[in-house]
Amino acid sequence: MSPIDATRVEQAEARSRRVPMTAMLLPLLLSLIAPASLVSPVEAQDAEPGYAPEDIWSDEYAFQIFPWGGNERVQFKTYHDYFTMKDRMQFLSDRNPEFISYHEGLIGGINARGNEMGSDDYEGWYYNHASPWVKITGDVAGGDCNDFVGDCGNYADRPDVMFVGNHHAREWMSYTVPMLFIETVAYYYGQAGVDNDGDGLIDEDPWDGIDNDGDCAMLNASNQDYNGDGVACGPGDLGVDEDFSEQFITDLVNTREIYVIPMLNVDGNRYDREEYCGETAWENCRTSGWRKNLRDNTVTGFTPLPDVDEEVDEGCDGVDLNRNYQFEWGAPLGATGPLFPGMCYAGGPNNDVYNGPVDTVDNDEDGKVNEDHVDGKDDDADGLVDEDWMGGNSEPETKFIQDLTEMNDDDGDGSSEFKSTITWHSFSELVLWPWGHCTECVSPDDEYLIYHGNVMAQMTDYAPMQSSDLYPTTGDFCDWHYGVHDSYCYTIEIGNAFHELPEDIAHIAVRNLGISFYMSEIADDPRYRAIVGIENTTTRQWLADPANVTVPENGDIPVELCLDTSFPYTTQIERTHLMWRFVEPTRQQNDFGPTEWVDVPWMMSAFADTEDSCVLLDGANGTMLMSHIPMPDTSVGKIQYKAMLGTTNGAFPFTYPTVDEGGNYYELAIPYRASFGSAVLAVLMFLVIASFVWGGLGYTLRAMFDDERGVIGLPEDGG
Amino acid sequence: MSQQEPSSDQFSGRMGLIFATIGAAIGTGNIWRFPRMVGANGGGSFLVPWLIFLFLWSIPLIIAEFALGKRSRTGTVGTFRIFAGPKFAWMGLWTAWISTAIGFYYAVVTGWCLNYFQTAIRGGLSQGVDTTEVWNNFLQAPGQVIIYQMIAILITMAAIWRGAKAIEKANVMLMVSLFVLLFTALFLAFVMDFEDGTLDGFVYMFSIQPEYLMEPETWINGLSQSAWSCSAGMGMAITYSVYMRKDEDTTLNAATMCLANNSISIIAGLTVMMAVFAVSDDPLSAVGGGSSAITFLVLPEVFAKAPGGPAIQLLMVAVFFLALSFAALTSMISTVELCVRNFVDHGVDRSQAVGFTSVAIFLFGLPSAALWILVDESTGVAFPQFLEVQDHIWGYGLMFSGLFIAYSIWKYGWSRYKSWQEENEVEDFDMGDYVDNGVSAFRDDFINTGDNDWWIGRWWDAIMYIGFPAMFAVLMLSYFSDLLLNVHDPWNPTNPHGISIILLFWGVTAFIFISLNKYVLVNRMVPTKDSPWFWPLSRDFELEPRPLFRNVPEGADAPIDMLPGGSDPFVVQAGETLPDSFVDEYGETRSHSTATVEAELV
Repeated sequence: MSPIDATRVEQAEARSRRVPMTAMLLPLLLSLIAPASLVSPVEAQDAEPGYAPEDIWSDEYAFQIFPWGGNERVQFKTYHDYFTMKDRMQFLSDRNPEFISYHEGLIGGINARGNEMGSDDYEGWYYNHASPWVKITGDVAGGDCNDFVGDCGNYADRPDVMFVGNHHAREWMSYTVPMLFIETVAYYYGQAGVDNDGDGLIDEDPWDGIDNDGDCAMLNASNQDYNGDGVACGPGDLGVDEDFSEQFITDLVNTREIYVIPMLNVDGNRYDREEYCGETAWENCRTSGWRKNLRDNTVTGFTPLPDVDEEVDEGCDGVDLNRNYQFEWGAPLGATGPLFPGMCYAGGPNNDVYNGPVDTVDNDEDGKVNEDHVDGKDDDADGLVDEDWMGGNSEPETKFIQDLTEMNDDDGDGSSEFKSTITWHSFSELVLWPWGHCTECVSPDDEYLIYHGNVMAQMTDYAPMQSSDLYPTTGDFCDWHYGVHDSYCYTIEIGNAFHELPEDIAHIAVRNLGISFYMSEIADDPRYRAIVGIENTTTRQWLADPANVTVPENGDIPVELCLDTSFPYTTQIERTHLMWRFVEPTRQQNDFGPTEWVDVPWMMSAFADTEDSCVLLDGANGTMLMSHIPMPDTSVGKIQYKAMLGTTNGAFPFTYPTVDEGGNYYELAIPYRASFGSAVLAVLMFLVIASFVWGGLGYTLRAMFDDERGVIGLPEDGG
Repeated sequence: MSQQEPSSDQFSGRMGLIFATIGAAIGTGNIWRFPRMVGANGGGSFLVPWLIFLFLWSIPLIIAEFALGKRSRTGTVGTFRIFAGPKFAWMGLWTAWISTAIGFYYAVVTGWCLNYFQTAIRGGLSQGVDTTEVWNNFLQAPGQVIIYQMIAILITMAAIWRGAKAIEKANVMLMVSLFVLLFTALFLAFVMDFEDGTLDGFVYMFSIQPEYLMEPETWINGLSQSAWSCSAGMGMAITYSVYMRKDEDTTLNAATMCLANNSISIIAGLTVMMAVFAVSDDPLSAVGGGSSAITFLVLPEVFAKAPGGPAIQLLMVAVFFLALSFAALTSMISTVELCVRNFVDHGVDRSQAVGFTSVAIFLFGLPSAALWILVDESTGVAFPQFLEVQDHIWGYGLMFSGLFIAYSIWKYGWSRYKSWQEENEVEDFDMGDYVDNGVSAFRDDFINTGDNDWWIGRWWDAIMYIGFPAMFAVLMLSYFSDLLLNVHDPWNPTNPHGISIILLFWGVTAFIFISLNKYVLVNRMVPTKDSPWFWPLSRDFELEPRPLFRNVPEGADAPIDMLPGGSDPFVVQAGETLPDSFVDEYGETRSHSTATVEAELV
């Protein structure tokens, strides 16, 4: 036990001794907070081993009370609506003017595409709100000011980060998670060494999805799965990632420009809340609700508000904002979109993902329309790329994202400042990365995207995958950000419902908090961060050495490979495989000499995913791959084996064992595993041999001493 | 030297001969070599060729050897000089050499047995002792190994000094105690192997694994083990038949000796196999590695688990290694005797010959004792690489001896056919006549003499004329192609498992022997000038026939004048006077230098 651990146990014990005294002195107060706490510590300790949360943590942390106080919405015990959220954002900005500035929409002017834009061009069609957003960076009032965007605090040497929530109106957690991020930054920025959980230790459990300080593990079993997802001490549970470094937050804020747009689709969100589902949407709309914005697609040209009763327009009004971005807009690749781009079918299967009208403008004024689709290529070979798009970015909300991205050029190099971007959605507990528009395709940055995706999946215990592996989408936020603006972009599918129950809000938001900081952190150079990260993971991974390979009684021999959960491995056999060869003493040698191996070619066995986890060299949990060496039970000899590990792009052929482990392969002795033969046949063989040899001997001996007998085998004629 | 029968040296009776030959045949070959061969060649799969070659190779060959020796009444060199002709006396030297070369390292193995005996007496092999450590410590101390090698040779010298009678007596005593102890060990090993309810060792030893039967290695090992263990082709039977009474049986004795030998092999093999499977975690690699140490590692553990407490255990392990030492010594005796016999045949004093041979066996055995002592990485057991290479080379060299014996039989048959043709004035070759009057001639004239209890039929001719060359060719070809295919870097002469090293040993030996044939074996060089140091090189010498003295018992009728080398006047019975002159290669009659010297024999 390390000194730190010892200290921890002592403190925990001291705390557990202190609790009953506190309980005697302040029974009333405690009973107000949690009536059960008066008796539960003692009872819990008697009932099962381990501590109750309030035994080892501050009561605030134990009951997930955030330190910034405030009402139920601010405490994430229920949802903000648009207005309370906006008020809170303004409030935080006002309280922290040195690093948070509040904005709504954009000021406007001539945008990057040469269009004259007004601030009202970014306001929703129906309720006419521009999306509220905050900019977070150190000295947010200093630096360069941007007349079009309306913000100051632009620094050429600070990478920009964009977090966007609530593309889809009904996905309420998707604006709640960025709100927790804003609250966290606003509260902890500039503070030094806060003991978040009140256990006497500081900054002992950063965001990584792991109970680094082991305090969750000290709880009694019933408290270890706080969020009830079936995983004890996993992300979102009490005691996991609860004490991050305040200095880390401060440093990040001072070196990044973080743009947080919690609620992009204000129109849709208000409609979902006020008309479609109601304030308590989790009761009647848990996994349903209004998705799109409030564009009026009615053929007649006028409908004030799509409402439940409006039979024709109800489904067709609105545009799915996350299908409205221009990159590969409307590409009918079997993606979730209308069969014909720009068409909306009332009551049809795709009206929920209507991607907006076809663009009929000759954007480059060359007399042709839509001749250069936004796909990163110069389709019409006129020297301009993606200059006359087919559609997309037609909505106020997407235009807002477009111009914020394209007009926020701090260093004047003409390319986007946003190095990393997140868009939050609900639900399914996924971490998704580009591409979304094509299947069976990978992006040039695939393994780097996989790496960061895996890290964040580890952080949240969400499932990582390429977006199109879930289902193909066209014109989504991340394809556009990555495809057009080279930004590492992730779509996080939060939780298990569109409208989560209020009591689940806080722990789901906490579970997703680390991602924002991670994406802020890697914004300086996501590609390099991935390379370094992959390099680092390789030193923690291992291939089972002979001592840890169990040769089964019969059948193939399993060999484990333990990989970092963030390692972007592929299981394609050309890249990742176990190389092995079976070497046995050659018959030539084994009757008179030592075992000497002849040259045997290496064989290959694929690795397959398993459900099991394994422990990496640094003690963290890893992903276990398994390969099987086919080996008949009768084989005796040695297997030499090594693993070749490839990433999805095949750029890194990592080998295990590493050179540090001494030698370029392991050697595993294979004993004889089959039966030694049939007992019946052996007895028969014995009888044959014995009758020939012993029988023969007896016969000759008898003949030798039997004088009466004549010569054996003498022919009739006398020889 | 006092002689009971002044004219010749003889075994006292049939049992004496049987025990002497069985004693020679049964040795470490059964206890040290057979179990590891069974283990390394697939258990029961090995027993198939081993049994087949017992009947197709070993017994026919021993019969031939007895017949040859009983008629020639000389050691191997003389036998080939008489039967194959003066130009082929080197074949006899090859046969003697193989046996002696085996003796070089055999003395070392005998030394191991002696050392284990004294270690056992001192309690060094009791329960709980790490036998691997004992083995490694011993083997890696060359001084100790050499001392025990020397002791083994000294004991052999003492036994052999006095001739056949002493050999006979020692053998009877030692063989009986060996049988008793082997059966005790077998019983103990059976109990140990059966402790877990299965007889893995038994099942393994008697289970045929078909894939092993497809490999030439298994067959060639089966043949070489059968020959090695029965001493077939070593000339041992030739040598011992020199001491036969005139009317001794040669056929049933041969069969009895080989069958007795193989019977002991089965018992010893079963004992070791069951013991290994009982005490080893990975028995197959223990036996399959073919380690020469296996007997010394496993059997002490077997005896250490014997019932009756430490005293009985100590007694048993000590007596076992004593008996094993005796078995080794009896074989050692035959080896030395074989060599000595050849010297005595050519007029060398027996005592001198024994001394000279013993010193040579000691010196040439030193590399096997101390060179290339390696440790197997996988098992941690030390093994003598040089010794095992020697075993490999000369074990397979036995096959040539067998072929040579067959050759002298072919030659005799052909000359008899030719003389039959002359007698009957037939000119053209006729296969039927050849089979009737040539092929069967050796069998009719030398084997079915009327003294035998077992009449040998045509099958023996078939084995000698067809079986031997066919078996030899097939085994040699498959063996060398197997070497080429499966051994890494086979042509590198420093590769102990390669093809070059074995061809080098065989080739150099054969070349020297063939070269020596004319100058040393059949003739001898007499210097013509007073230049004592350089006369062999400066060609200042003349050749004169080397006398060969036959040990013919009194009253025996052993005419050799019908044989290719039988008309040589310098091949005489011991006690006969030599001609005082000879006709040299230029047709001149010259006086012989030893014509006046009375040869002192025995």
